[in-house]
Amino acid sequence: MEYSELIKDFLDDADGHLKAFDSALLSLERHGLNKNIIMNVLGSLHTLKGNSGMMGFESLKRYIHGLEEVLKKIDDGNIELEIAINALLNSANVLRSALQGIGHEPSFNPDLTDDILSLQKCLDGSGNDSERLVVDPESYLGSKTNTIKVDFKRLDDLLNLVGELVIFKTRLNQIETEIRGAVNNKSISKELSNSLELMGKTISGLQEGIMRARMLPVNHVFNKFPRMVRDLSKSQGKNIQLVFEGEDTELDKTVIDELEKPLLHIIRNAVDHGIETPKERILKVKDPLGVITLSAAQESNYVIIKVKDNGRGINYENIREKAIEKGLIKTEDAFDKDSILPLIFSPGFTTKQEASDISGRGIGLDVVNKNISKLNGQVIVDSIHEKGTTFTIKLPLSLAIIPALMAETGGEVYAIPMSTIDESIKVREDDIHVINNREVIRFREKVIPVVRLNDFFGLDSKKKKRFYLVILGRADKRLAIAVDRLKGQQEIVIKPLDDTFGKSYGIAGASILGDGRIVLIIDVLSFWNKDKLKQEV
Amino acid sequence: MAEIHLPASGLAEDILSDFKEKSGEYHLVTFNLGEEYGVPINQVQEIVRVGGITMVPNSPSYMEGVINLRGRVLPVLNLRKKLKLSASAMGKDSRIVVTEVGSKVIGLLVDAVSHVIKVPSEFVETAPEEVLEVDTDYITGVGKLQDRLIILLDLEKLLKRENIEIKEGGTDLQRGGNNE
Repeated sequence: MEYSELIKDFLDDADGHLKAFDSALLSLERHGLNKNIIMNVLGSLHTLKGNSGMMGFESLKRYIHGLEEVLKKIDDGNIELEIAINALLNSANVLRSALQGIGHEPSFNPDLTDDILSLQKCLDGSGNDSERLVVDPESYLGSKTNTIKVDFKRLDDLLNLVGELVIFKTRLNQIETEIRGAVNNKSISKELSNSLELMGKTISGLQEGIMRARMLPVNHVFNKFPRMVRDLSKSQGKNIQLVFEGEDTELDKTVIDELEKPLLHIIRNAVDHGIETPKERILKVKDPLGVITLSAAQESNYVIIKVKDNGRGINYENIREKAIEKGLIKTEDAFDKDSILPLIFSPGFTTKQEASDISGRGIGLDVVNKNISKLNGQVIVDSIHEKGTTFTIKLPLSLAIIPALMAETGGEVYAIPMSTIDESIKVREDDIHVINNREVIRFREKVIPVVRLNDFFGLDSKKKKRFYLVILGRADKRLAIAVDRLKGQQEIVIKPLDDTFGKSYGIAGASILGDGRIVLIIDVLSFWNKDKLKQEV
Repeated sequence: MAEIHLPASGLAEDILSDFKEKSGEYHLVTFNLGEEYGVPINQVQEIVRVGGITMVPNSPSYMEGVINLRGRVLPVLNLRKKLKLSASAMGKDSRIVVTEVGSKVIGLLVDAVSHVIKVPSEFVETAPEEVLEVDTDYITGVGKLQDRLIILLDLEKLLKRENIEIKEGGTDLQRGGNNE
């Protein structure tokens, strides 16, 4: 965040605290001592003091500290309220002038040494300061604020309305194409298409504006971790620094909320398994200070969040052994990075002998994978032995309106969220092979299982000579969904399906298209589960 | 003198309906499924023509699909299948009765909608025990009108059954597997 923005935030916040201080003082002046009021105002002052210190207003901070002292003494009965009240009312004006000064010129650092001295006098009980500081009357208005607090529900409702608007727009565009063919009046159809184009632009702007209003910088989540990392590493005798990059990248609030848990698990893992103790690091000729980097960056319609540590990395041999022990793979299975790494996302997988306080019960990464898939995202792990591990999370910017690929099979159209798709290819029936009763395809040096959408959904469909595979990515795994035809990409508004009749397996929700038809949105997660189920049988 | 309690709204229609309620009258929307069935009119939102039903895969067989009701995704239940009656093809008289049960809005696919009628409660009998089975408590009674029989349905009970079935169905995974 820019310094000037920080100052603005500081002033907005300070304004509220000052108002609270003012009204508390007025109430004390009128109604006499009230311990509750003093407690509340101490809270406000304490926050203001902390913020002032953080912004580098040292003198202001010390002054507020003095004020706190005075109030505490009043609370304890060591100073008579009547004696101190004038000095306190005066002090609110001192604060007001100081804040106004900062508002005019952000580099202004108020020097309140004299005021601190007069407060000191008040603390000694000698200062019945009758001399009131006169301030610029305008300063009573405080700084003008540019932010308002809005209930998130209202923004949600607005976004829903915009979603409807997007649907109607698509419908109007279709009508326009039909009309152009039917009406022989060129100028009118041209005018219509121009107006529609303008309206489309306005709607896009509106949609973007509301989406933006729902966005929060990721440091809302990031900031929850420094303290955790400090405490965890201390308890394990480790020396770890948590570094942020791109923490002002913005994400929809709903995504931010859902991101906490997966990040918690990954960071916990990095502290517990990733970073070594200082002793071990020195032996390896590494800096004794371990570093975990939490970064965020936007790439087109997605946000990429990375958790990178410079610890010991993942020991492939260890994972392989454990996986064989658990029966996840066989001894003769291929031993390469790409097939071993995804195993750490398996439910119940852990290489630790005993579960530690922090992690190691083998539930963490499984949860991460599930949560991220729920957000229509992907998580990928990469690790170099003794160099460190990087988890990369790819997420759509918003949960409510997402780009989706329309795929047709058995005469029905389904929407597949773009963020879960790696790529799509056109194939022939000959390209599909069968291994152990399962259809697979060889693609880019990999053998990928194929799930036919019409079989999965129990639809009738004639076998076609040529069809399409939509290749899904999840962690480092790939899965291909076979469909008859691809019908292009489209922005869709997600609507939940009523669950009175149970949750339909494989369906995440529905969306209404421009022509009023409903398309169902595929729940990509269930394909992976199904996949696992078949393998185990 | 008997005390008369007026409804809080004080509206004439409410007062009248209050009286009707007391005198015992069923206000029904009736529809055809081979036999004539009826549901309370206050549970019916509207009746729409059948069209544009999107099939939902891996759902119970009596779930006909979903329709777009003015921007709302509405589930549609095939009432024939739900009541385990013989299937019949959808015709031009087929309709979807949009009902509001509790907080849920659900469409019922029926062969044809016949009437909106009032049946005095003295013409309604509980269905003979011999024709009821354990799981047919959603039939609240039978209305006898001259030469017609109207089977009265309790939608709340009919739909509540779903939730129980779903719970017994087990996890999603099992459900998915069973539906294959």
